[in-house]
Amino acid sequence: MSKRKVVLNINAEEYELEIEPHRTLLEVLREELDLTGAKEGCGLGSCGACTVLIDGEPILSCLTLAVEVQRREIVTIEGLCKDGDPDPVQRSFVEKGAIQCGFCTPGMILSAKALIDEKGSPSREEIQEALSGNLCRCTGYTKIIKAVEAVVKN
Amino acid sequence: MTATPMTEQKYFSIGQPQPRIDGMEKATGEAKFTADLKMPRMLIGKLLGSPYPHARIHHINSRKALALPGVKAVVTGADLKGQKYGPFRSRRDETGLARDKVRYIGDPLAAVAAADEETAIEAMELLKVEYEELPAVFDVEEAMRGGAPLVHEECERNICAYRNFNFGDVEEGFNSSYHIREDHFISQGLSHGALEPRAALAHFDASGKLTLWTGTQSPYGVRQDLSLALAFPANKIRIIKPFVGGGFGGKGDLMPHEVAASLLAMETRRPVRISLTREEEISTTRLRNPMVMTIKTGVSKEGAILAQYVKCIANGGAYASTSVMLTYNSGLTCLIPYRIPNFKYDGYMIYTNRAVSGAMRGHGANQPRFAVESQLDMIANDIDLDPAELRIRNATQKGDTSVNGLVFDSCELSRAIQEVTKASGWKDKRGKKAANRGIGIACGGFVSGARGGSHTASSCFIQVNEEGGVILSTGSSDIGQGSDTTLAQIVAEVLGISPWDVSVVSGDTETTPIDPGTFSSRVTFYAGNAAIEAAREVKQSLAEMAAKSMETTVDDIEFRDHSVFVRSAPEKTMAFKNLTQMAIGFGHGRSLIGKGQWAPQNTQFPDKTTRYGNVSGAYSFAGQVAEVEVDRETGEVKLLKVTIADDCGRVINILGAEGQAEGSVSMGQGHALLEEILFGDRGQIMNPSFLEYKIPTAMDMTDVSFLEVGTPDPLGPYGAKEIGEGLIISTVPAIVNAIYDAIGVRITELPVRPEKILEGLKKR
Repeated sequence: MSKRKVVLNINAEEYELEIEPHRTLLEVLREELDLTGAKEGCGLGSCGACTVLIDGEPILSCLTLAVEVQRREIVTIEGLCKDGDPDPVQRSFVEKGAIQCGFCTPGMILSAKALIDEKGSPSREEIQEALSGNLCRCTGYTKIIKAVEAVVKN
Repeated sequence: MTATPMTEQKYFSIGQPQPRIDGMEKATGEAKFTADLKMPRMLIGKLLGSPYPHARIHHINSRKALALPGVKAVVTGADLKGQKYGPFRSRRDETGLARDKVRYIGDPLAAVAAADEETAIEAMELLKVEYEELPAVFDVEEAMRGGAPLVHEECERNICAYRNFNFGDVEEGFNSSYHIREDHFISQGLSHGALEPRAALAHFDASGKLTLWTGTQSPYGVRQDLSLALAFPANKIRIIKPFVGGGFGGKGDLMPHEVAASLLAMETRRPVRISLTREEEISTTRLRNPMVMTIKTGVSKEGAILAQYVKCIANGGAYASTSVMLTYNSGLTCLIPYRIPNFKYDGYMIYTNRAVSGAMRGHGANQPRFAVESQLDMIANDIDLDPAELRIRNATQKGDTSVNGLVFDSCELSRAIQEVTKASGWKDKRGKKAANRGIGIACGGFVSGARGGSHTASSCFIQVNEEGGVILSTGSSDIGQGSDTTLAQIVAEVLGISPWDVSVVSGDTETTPIDPGTFSSRVTFYAGNAAIEAAREVKQSLAEMAAKSMETTVDDIEFRDHSVFVRSAPEKTMAFKNLTQMAIGFGHGRSLIGKGQWAPQNTQFPDKTTRYGNVSGAYSFAGQVAEVEVDRETGEVKLLKVTIADDCGRVINILGAEGQAEGSVSMGQGHALLEEILFGDRGQIMNPSFLEYKIPTAMDMTDVSFLEVGTPDPLGPYGAKEIGEGLIISTVPAIVNAIYDAIGVRITELPVRPEKILEGLKKR
């Protein structure tokens, strides 16, 4: 298949790439741009480890074609730090013990951030539902939910 | 979730809620897992798996595959010059890539390295393999029958491992029993479900060294087995563990993709990375073995256990993995929580032509624990005794030695049962059947590292640098459970500094000292003590220098709050970093290095015939209460709350301990209510994806209350014992017992499913 030129806006930077149209956003992020924060946990959209934000919405990058998301604002976990300062969600995850192995963490943090930016003060049930597409095998979710609640409270 | 600390807080790091020292790297996506690693000119590898459950490999034609542009090498079992390997010497039955036979659908037999993943996949399809299909066997009863196809020719009746105990006189015990029950239980196959699928990156360099980056629990174990598989000297192999996205016991063995990547790297002289898909991860790595159990227990009128017979038949799949240890463990762990004067055990692990079962959190303890704890409730019901009371009457006590020689120098199980029943509102909620709700209890105990047959000690190095920071080098592997952080806390405590000042290097066979690895819940216990010894050596050197400088004796020097001071004259003080600068800089001609190594001296490898022996230096205990609500219309079970009273000795990191409790409950919830590996009629796994193999999500989160009830263990580092595996084993039976309390339906075959609930209700 012949390559196509695409322009992707990732973490407020523009990247010009030549890629085959069937490449997923996840593959392009990881293999072309070395943005390995988004992970492949299942390749089928069933685990959420590949979550990135596209125009503020949490999207499964393993099910998204890179060519489809030109001219959209893509934010990966690497884009969350502003001038070296971690986002309050990142800080809360660390402080509250919401991180164990860390593999689900980027996707989980982005889903949480999207929720807080959208809803402001989500309830516990709303947090659980918003994060239900991000699997975690280590934490049992308790401290993750508490970390999000702590950000909401502030 | 609430945690109630019951140990006194006289430490500044030990017992504190310590966030992970690598937390920010993980939170920013900077932490590199194996599949994130890239090297110049790297090739991508893919494994070819068998389409048959049992077949002889006659010929592999790789001509067309090699001709495809971008393909650089094809390797098969025939390219492996070494011998069979496996985690236990007595059962080495793997070659890495299958050599003469394939033994389950998915069994890897060849691998391709290509410029990119798509080319590698295309090349796989061009490999032409001539198979001769053989009769296969999938069921344990059939496999054990004479005349059944043999998965491994040298293994009669497909018995991969058999372990038996016979302590006391069970016949006598049953004869004196007031009440006897014999029941059968079934526990299903499970997947570890670690979010990170396995990956390996191999590089064979010009000096003739093979470096393998892999998400493993046991770098030294992998190195040893890889050396055997490749017939390549171990001292020319370097294993490096990057961040690992969870292991839960599954990532300890050397795996085919690690062997294949190494072989391809040696063949091509280019780095080769292989990543498994989730489908490969579930169907071609390791599982928790399906197990069929028979439990016969006799009790006195007061409910004291007089005799117990446990029989476990586990479906091991095509290769042994940790079978010999697991089969022993299923029996061993029955003798931890309760005083059982007469005990008999028969444990079998059977080869079948299915995916391999191996170690998974609890390592064979979970299934018999579910069975025994369920039956204890049935007995309590029969003799009209409160199930919690029944457990108190049988609980192991500190100072006991069990019939098989386990020595319990610390044990707070009775207290755990008392506290967990109090905190959960046991008395008020039990038997009330308020709106389809029920409450159930279960207990368990686990080893803090079991004595292995070969190398068993952990060791640590500590280097101190001039700015008051410390580098801890340990061979133990942090696989996400937080051992690096725990060890940093321990070192910080000894030296009076902060865990944030401790840099931890772990899991690199070239730079960290030899260590068996992360399994059997050994790391805090073994490596923690090794870290203390190393830190004390460094502390002694620094104290000598401080004493000289502040004109006092070494005994008068105290390390606290990033400084040292004279205990008898506290105004005489010096900053820790100034002390280290002085010690290193001022011509004393010494380097500040500490070395520590540790293994408990009170353990024995169990006797080969009787299996008698104190296999662990300390045992953890827990009492767990689960509350459920059952929907009588749909049969769905909702886990409302779990209360755990845990004796893990002294908690080092309360944030970590709570995390283990909450994670264990979630995994136990999955085992009891949600998860099941489904096998097809050719042994293939029918649900190798998260869509069909459902692990708990955030919606399934339950309220977990964690109580510390331990007292410091005499051997544990600062008194700590294990927590990683002991908790999950009582979660499953607590849930099942709660269901019985709610609706009077006894589930003896896991997982609990709505259909089974409805069927059970109909029968009543």
